[in-house]
Amino acid sequence: MPTYEKILLKNMEQPGYTGSLSDYRKTGGYMALEKVLKGIAPAEVIDTIKRSGLRGRGGAGFPTGVKWSFIPKDHPGPKYLCCNADESEPGTFKDRQLIENDPHQMLEGITIACYAIGAQTAYVYIRGEFFLGAKIIQGAIDELYQAQLLGKKILGSNFNLDIYVHRGAGAYICGEETALLESIEGKRGKPRTKPPFPATHGLYQKPTVVNNVETLSNVPHIINRGPEWFAAIGTAKSTGTRIFSVSGPVNRPGNYEVPLGITFREMIEEHAGGMKEGKRLKAIIPGGASASFFTSEHLDVKMDFESVAAAGSMLGSGGVTVMDDETCMVAATLNLLEFFHHESCGKCTPCREGSAWLLQILRRIEGGEGRREDLAQLEQLSHRIEGMTICAFGDAEVAPILSTLKHFRAEYEAHIDEKHCPFRPNLALAMAVP
Amino acid sequence: MNHPVRLTFNGKEIEVEKGTLLIEAAKVAGAELPHFCYHPKLKYDANCRMCIVEIEKMPKLQTSCSTVVAEGMVVRSNTDRVKEAQNGVMAFLLGNHPLDCPECDQGGECQLQDFAHRYSPTVGSFGETKRVFEKEYFGPLIEKEMNRCVSCLRCVRYCDEVIGANALGSMDRGSVTEIGGFAHHPLDCEFCGGCIQICPVGALTSRASMYDYRPWQVKKTDTICTYCGDGCLMTMETIDDKVIRTSSKLGVGRNEGDLCAKGFFGYGFINHQERLTRPIIIQNGKMQQVTWEWAIKKAASDFMAIKEKYGPEAIGGIIGAHSTNEETYLFYKLMRDIIGTPHVDSAARYGDVNAHQALNAAFSTTCLMRYEDIVGADLILSFAGDMTETNPICAIKVKEAVRKNKAKLIAIDAFNTQRDTYKSHLPHIASLHLQIKMGTEGVVILGLIKILASQATPSPVLSADYIQRMKQATESISFEMIEAISGISKATLGEVAKRYAGASKAVLIVGSAITRNSNGYQNMLNIADLALLAGQVAKEGAGILALTDCPNGGGDPSGGSERPAPVGRENAGVVTRGKTLVEIIDAVERGEIKALYIVGDNPVRSLPQKRVEAAFKKLDLLICQELFMTETAAAADIVLPAASFAEKEGHYTSQEGEAQKVRKAIDPIGTSKPDWAVFSLIAEKMNAPFGFKSVNDIWKERVLSLPPAPTLEEMVSHIDAFCAAPRQFILPFAASSNGIKDLFHLQVGKTLSHAGKMSTYADGLNLITPNQSILIHPDDAERLGIVAGETIEISFPNGDTGSIQMPIALSNRLALGTLFVPEHCSMEIKRGLPFETDPVTHVPYGNYGQVRLSKVAVAV
Repeated sequence: MPTYEKILLKNMEQPGYTGSLSDYRKTGGYMALEKVLKGIAPAEVIDTIKRSGLRGRGGAGFPTGVKWSFIPKDHPGPKYLCCNADESEPGTFKDRQLIENDPHQMLEGITIACYAIGAQTAYVYIRGEFFLGAKIIQGAIDELYQAQLLGKKILGSNFNLDIYVHRGAGAYICGEETALLESIEGKRGKPRTKPPFPATHGLYQKPTVVNNVETLSNVPHIINRGPEWFAAIGTAKSTGTRIFSVSGPVNRPGNYEVPLGITFREMIEEHAGGMKEGKRLKAIIPGGASASFFTSEHLDVKMDFESVAAAGSMLGSGGVTVMDDETCMVAATLNLLEFFHHESCGKCTPCREGSAWLLQILRRIEGGEGRREDLAQLEQLSHRIEGMTICAFGDAEVAPILSTLKHFRAEYEAHIDEKHCPFRPNLALAMAVP
Repeated sequence: MNHPVRLTFNGKEIEVEKGTLLIEAAKVAGAELPHFCYHPKLKYDANCRMCIVEIEKMPKLQTSCSTVVAEGMVVRSNTDRVKEAQNGVMAFLLGNHPLDCPECDQGGECQLQDFAHRYSPTVGSFGETKRVFEKEYFGPLIEKEMNRCVSCLRCVRYCDEVIGANALGSMDRGSVTEIGGFAHHPLDCEFCGGCIQICPVGALTSRASMYDYRPWQVKKTDTICTYCGDGCLMTMETIDDKVIRTSSKLGVGRNEGDLCAKGFFGYGFINHQERLTRPIIIQNGKMQQVTWEWAIKKAASDFMAIKEKYGPEAIGGIIGAHSTNEETYLFYKLMRDIIGTPHVDSAARYGDVNAHQALNAAFSTTCLMRYEDIVGADLILSFAGDMTETNPICAIKVKEAVRKNKAKLIAIDAFNTQRDTYKSHLPHIASLHLQIKMGTEGVVILGLIKILASQATPSPVLSADYIQRMKQATESISFEMIEAISGISKATLGEVAKRYAGASKAVLIVGSAITRNSNGYQNMLNIADLALLAGQVAKEGAGILALTDCPNGGGDPSGGSERPAPVGRENAGVVTRGKTLVEIIDAVERGEIKALYIVGDNPVRSLPQKRVEAAFKKLDLLICQELFMTETAAAADIVLPAASFAEKEGHYTSQEGEAQKVRKAIDPIGTSKPDWAVFSLIAEKMNAPFGFKSVNDIWKERVLSLPPAPTLEEMVSHIDAFCAAPRQFILPFAASSNGIKDLFHLQVGKTLSHAGKMSTYADGLNLITPNQSILIHPDDAERLGIVAGETIEISFPNGDTGSIQMPIALSNRLALGTLFVPEHCSMEIKRGLPFETDPVTHVPYGNYGQVRLSKVAVAV
């Protein structure tokens, strides 16, 4: 099995590492911050991140340094940084590990990012169910205040920063950056129409950067070891490592940090230990529930932003869900639609109305009451949602449908023709009630 | 156009102002883009996705309601891609929509119907079970039918952005999102009906007119609302002779399409079953319906008999607040020129004359600013804490200034600012709220004058002499005394004075707390001095606005008794000053006035009841012209049924000074007649016909009779003369407690849903506030051991008026130790309140007093 140098998971894999401030400092923690505060201008920090090629690990893969550079330099009022720790994408559990086991890595990243964009206030917006994570981050923040690494005049510089933990209340949509901002403001978590973008009109309508936990956790390492070092890892356009959360009937499900650009085959067969005995791989969700399905034919696609996109899906949140040949693809899609329907915020028409409509059709098909014309209708409805919504949720909810219809159409047809689910033939009655 | 932007829309080159939204620019290109959530009054939300367009160089379709034009933009709304997307949105919106158009009150004026007609295929593809919500009600007047909702949130946004009541929100999420009050609490709002009006579909409809009409069956008549002096343009929608509902049009009128509870739900009195429909003679307590012919003949001959026996000055006349300019004019003409008495007065005497005479004395005009100046001001100084109740639309202008334009509001009143109730209450959005002791506005004004006089520097407007005089006149008034009386410290007054004088454009708004309470005229004069010293009057964008509850408040500025004879007939009538309202009642009591003609006013209610009733018993003749059998009408010998404002033509002049057309929406109820027609008939019977062929003829003559508006030079010299006059300031009556324990300060005033007696005939408004209760702060109630709805006993420390009992309602708005009694149920209370008249304007003051409360002993 190929082995790679880990960046983000390195500290926590050392025996006895607790993630405390003293442990983190022993590994060279907060050296990057010191280096920055002692003599790197904010613009230079942004430039360093740009040159590293670091891209957002939350889902969209937007170049981090470029995002930072959008913040107006001469803005008179406050600016904000929000760390997106909402990690709500089904099949994704990497940020949780980073938060619980090495919170200071992320906090150092936040501090450096705030210095770079000129923010004096940062929020960590953490998923409501992450009770432990919230407690750990708050503990780490308290340590920092005590060590005078937060607050006024950090490390004797003129840089001041306060970090607050803000817990979500359980809505998936609050992982969407503008809904996240609304939620911090105390409003209903609903996405905003863009433009204007958060870079100019973000939290409280002030310039704001929203970055993912993993993205920010990379920052201290790039400062310490230089952008060229980071850019050399991975592929030309997808630099650095990524933590993939592998789940499903594999022998070793879990988080794996690897350089961007290895194949799905290597990830599943080597790192995750291959399929469990007797199971055959049927489908892969390559990047969280919002990504289009892959099949066993995609095993040699490389796990970098460009390759996955070229193959018709997205690297997304890094959640790799593996499914075996006993899995009903209609049931899997229905499962996801139950989720998306439950989580649609209801703000804009296509998603609000469309998710319910799609769900009802899928329930019927899975329940053995499908009609032949349903498939064309699923496609038409999906196309009427795709690209028509305020946020990316609309695209996300139709991705499983369109991709399973593309790759596993025969399974849908079998449901309709046989009037029951081929995998769960006794389900029909249970599903009849909407 | 200041900054034109050129773009191409559907192939057409257009030019629009920078910052224009594409959806508005489309109109310039002659394209109407379908939409639901967009509304020009609101911030865009871009949630319905119906107004999408294709923009070159943008891969995705864009919502035109949220996209601002850019130079060189190439936009198309007529492509197949756009059409398919619109069809998609329509399919989504119609999928779950019920097929209840035939019984939906919105049917016929529904945006969903209209756009469905144009944008959706005739065959639907929805083959699932429809989502069903149970019908709910937002209180007694608003029906919520969520099955019809398109989730555009216009109602929520209107409530938040325009009214500021924040009563609505969206609940739950996804496909079961619904509109509701927070956690199913009853709506805590102004019941302005704005959510109903702004709903593009039939999700929110009015229960007041439920199933009464189809929109295309109604006749629409634009007219002016009669509930206060705001001067709102509204549309009366009628079928035959019944008013079905009222509505307003976006952006139109001084109200720009906003209405209040009274305007939207208050039309019920017009077709009320108790409306008087035939003239009535009352003899020995017996009522007898008679013909108009008979009644007019009797009225004319009785007037002539009394004039013959006692002389013309034995006849008096009072005209009420709801008569038009034409009618008021004609009434004066009838009384002065034909009957020959100077003793005529109008409802302006109840308080408006204080503002009118004082502002005229200072500035030679009362029209010192317009609503646009409120919206454009950077500071608003308000002595009208109850503006939302008395003049709701004017309050919306203040909210707009504060919310949208970041103006600062300084509110000076006796209310609380506790935020847990009634969010749109104006003091809540004040950047500085001075909670004064009830009735001490005048003291605060003097305090501000004292500070500004001490700081003012001479300028072309403010002479050194004037400043010196103001200083001297306020010398003897100490800040300690001011604070003792009003509760406001010198430092706070200093801050207010600094901000008011320092603002670039400040407006000063005065409400009934000043104009209708003790010392009102002097306080209004002092208001003029305050604005002059601060340099916030007679200046672009600044000024003083006196609020009034009379729809024709600006049309009868001096009241009847001071009015000169009309132009061209100076010698025909009486030009001497006649008796004013209370003087007339006094003269009746003394037996000097033998006959009284009261038109649309109810002195028995408005003035001390017993005194007026006793006086009326001494009359030989009382003619009352009314909509209903009021207390005054019941005391009359002849009762003439009057037509309401919905049944006549004319003009109302608003508090702004805007003369606006009142239009006839329905024929007069029964045989009732407009006031002007009755006056004409009486004049004819007295052999002195007016000779007017139409209301318009009266209007023309009245306009000609008005003195010309002062020129700028005249105004300047008038102000100079006002400034040069001697000043003497005396601290007004100290309204502080006089040492008797547990005395409550009680104020009579208007509520959101009721203005005077007329509103109590409107079923819609009665549903909002069904009970006639006295308002008290919850803590006071608790201290007294009484709960909401319980009856308490109110007694009066001075006099022997006995006590009365009333149920209580709780309100956090009230300050501790204060009580509020709605005007429409104040007649009994007023009997025990002190009564006085203004020494200069003779305005009656009887709305304030101190009372004692006690628990009613319950017999077991």
